[in-house]
Amino acid sequence: MESMKILLIEDDREMADGIAQTLRGHGHEVEISGTGTDGATRARSDGFAALIVDRMLPGLDGLTLVRELRTDGINTPVLFLTTMSGIDDRVQGLEGGADDYLTKPFAAAELLARVHAITRRADLRGETTLLKGAGLEMNLIRRTVTRAGHPVTLQAQEFLLLEYLLRNVDKVVTRTMLLEHVWELHFDPRTNIVETHMSRLRAKLDCGLGGEIISTVRGTGYILRAH
Amino acid sequence: MRIRLLHTESFRLAAIYTAIFVVSVAVLGVTVLAITGSAMRQQIVQYSQADVAAISDGYAHEGLHEAEEVTQQLMVAAGHADFVLLQQNGVRVAGNLPPMATRTGSIEFPSPLTPDHVIVGVGANIAPGLYVFSGSDLVFVSAVQERIVKLLLWLFAVSLLVAALGGLLVSRSFVARMDAISRTCRAIMAGNLRDRIAVRGSRDELDNLAIIINAMLDRIAALMDNLRQVSSDVAHDLRTPLTHLRQRLERARGEAQSPQQYAAALDAAIASADEILSLFAALLRIAQIEGGARRAGFAPVDLAALLQKTKEVYGAVAEDAAHALAVQPAAACMIRGDEELLFQLLANLVENAIVHTPAGTRITVALKEDAAQVTLLVSDDGPGIPPEAHGKIFQRFYRADAARSQPGHGLGLALTAAVAELHGGSITAAKPAGGNGVIFGVSLPRSE
Repeated sequence: MESMKILLIEDDREMADGIAQTLRGHGHEVEISGTGTDGATRARSDGFAALIVDRMLPGLDGLTLVRELRTDGINTPVLFLTTMSGIDDRVQGLEGGADDYLTKPFAAAELLARVHAITRRADLRGETTLLKGAGLEMNLIRRTVTRAGHPVTLQAQEFLLLEYLLRNVDKVVTRTMLLEHVWELHFDPRTNIVETHMSRLRAKLDCGLGGEIISTVRGTGYILRAH
Repeated sequence: MRIRLLHTESFRLAAIYTAIFVVSVAVLGVTVLAITGSAMRQQIVQYSQADVAAISDGYAHEGLHEAEEVTQQLMVAAGHADFVLLQQNGVRVAGNLPPMATRTGSIEFPSPLTPDHVIVGVGANIAPGLYVFSGSDLVFVSAVQERIVKLLLWLFAVSLLVAALGGLLVSRSFVARMDAISRTCRAIMAGNLRDRIAVRGSRDELDNLAIIINAMLDRIAALMDNLRQVSSDVAHDLRTPLTHLRQRLERARGEAQSPQQYAAALDAAIASADEILSLFAALLRIAQIEGGARRAGFAPVDLAALLQKTKEVYGAVAEDAAHALAVQPAAACMIRGDEELLFQLLANLVENAIVHTPAGTRITVALKEDAAQVTLLVSDDGPGIPPEAHGKIFQRFYRADAARSQPGHGLGLALTAAVAELHGGSITAAKPAGGNGVIFGVSLPRSE
């Protein structure tokens, strides 16, 4: 992951320092802004690769801040931080223009994976019809997948899972990210949904066609490697 | 502080009615007096005209002597307040009035005989120089009117007394009942949440009010009980993971020698903290659903599509856990609701079945529709739940195994109940007819 310049708009000093330390530890440059008004100004002026915006901020709240930035045509990727009690904040945040959300408290690995995911290459975002990577070719219109030219037959859930991995190729995706983005589950399931579907997807992809392309990142999630 | 009688609503009403009554009686009295007064005057004038005509007749047929005769007769027949006069050229010929100005027609003048009295009557010139007057003292009219006024005053006094007594009685009963309600409310404010307002069974407004207040108190008491239960359950359920957390940290401090051992101890501590956080998250989610705010975001949801998603998400999971998940296909079935929560409801029931039943158990998900409602059915043929627990499993923190040996925080079914209630529906658990296991039924009302 190349180094990025990230603006963190968070008024809780301890939380902000913790997040900044995690990001800096992974080679990113972090600026911290303690109020919504100051954050909004800085988000407009400097070339940040990503914004991390807390929901509750003095001055201008996070939701309004993101909405105003989007209205003004500033499309810097935004990760929205919400609290456990604000379930509706997630929906509002995404509708307001945030690219993803994360509920406090969260693991450092989760934060990193989310920040990396929202800054993925522009050509992998949104409306593409063909996804390529790791020797795979995915046709989003025909719902077909080939590996090294050989067709692979996938179930609907497996297809969605692989699509998400392909869109985030070479980036770690966490179990929670998969639950939220592939299955749209916003709760912690008591069964091994992710593990079950992942093992079936792997079995189908590896079926006599070469090596393992999806690796497990211990304690964090999975990664689909391009090479 | 007692409700004072004079300030009660019923007393105020009684006072208003009394005032209206007083004004009505006064208007009635004045009208009656005016009508009787004018009618009696007319009567006097008519009689007087007849008298004058009789005297005039006598004169016309038989001369002055006959006129005098008739006048004398009339005077004898008349009562003490009736008067006649026959005068020729200013000199009285007959009658009981002194000579007077010869005004003709219907006239009225002070009585020359009794001070302050008024005489009303008819005067006429029946021949040149011959004048006749016949009339009456108005004292008759006044006497009758006085009697009418007296009668009205008596009636008025009696009615007023009855109205006042009635008002007082009604007010006192009203005040007594309001006092009872206030007393109960005050007792409840003082902490006695079991107190209820007595209902008389008369089905009047106050009774209905009492019934509604009692129902409200029942609801509040149930919520309070629930809250008390939840608070103590939260405290109890938090103590275990917090104790584990503390033990792990203590052990790490005392026993860990290598970085690997420290890391393992810290990982265990983080897992304990996550367990606590997940408990909080589940509690907050239930509280938020129960708050009802999500109703604002209700949209059309196809339950058949949710069943299909359940099959796609959990089919493989169930298979890996050696369970068979059968989802009966259903035609599109739209209701208004929260898709995310409705799926979580289905997911919780299916996961519950996968986690709590032994390998080989068959889980069936189906959708049943009728005119009024839609029912989601999730059943399994596992060992089932004791019938006495069927009603309790939807309470927060309830667990069928009291030892709490199974993993989980006992909030999954409480959440399904909250979601069903948010949609105006309900959830029940029962033993399937002619089989083992348990069947959960989630009834959801159809949208209009």
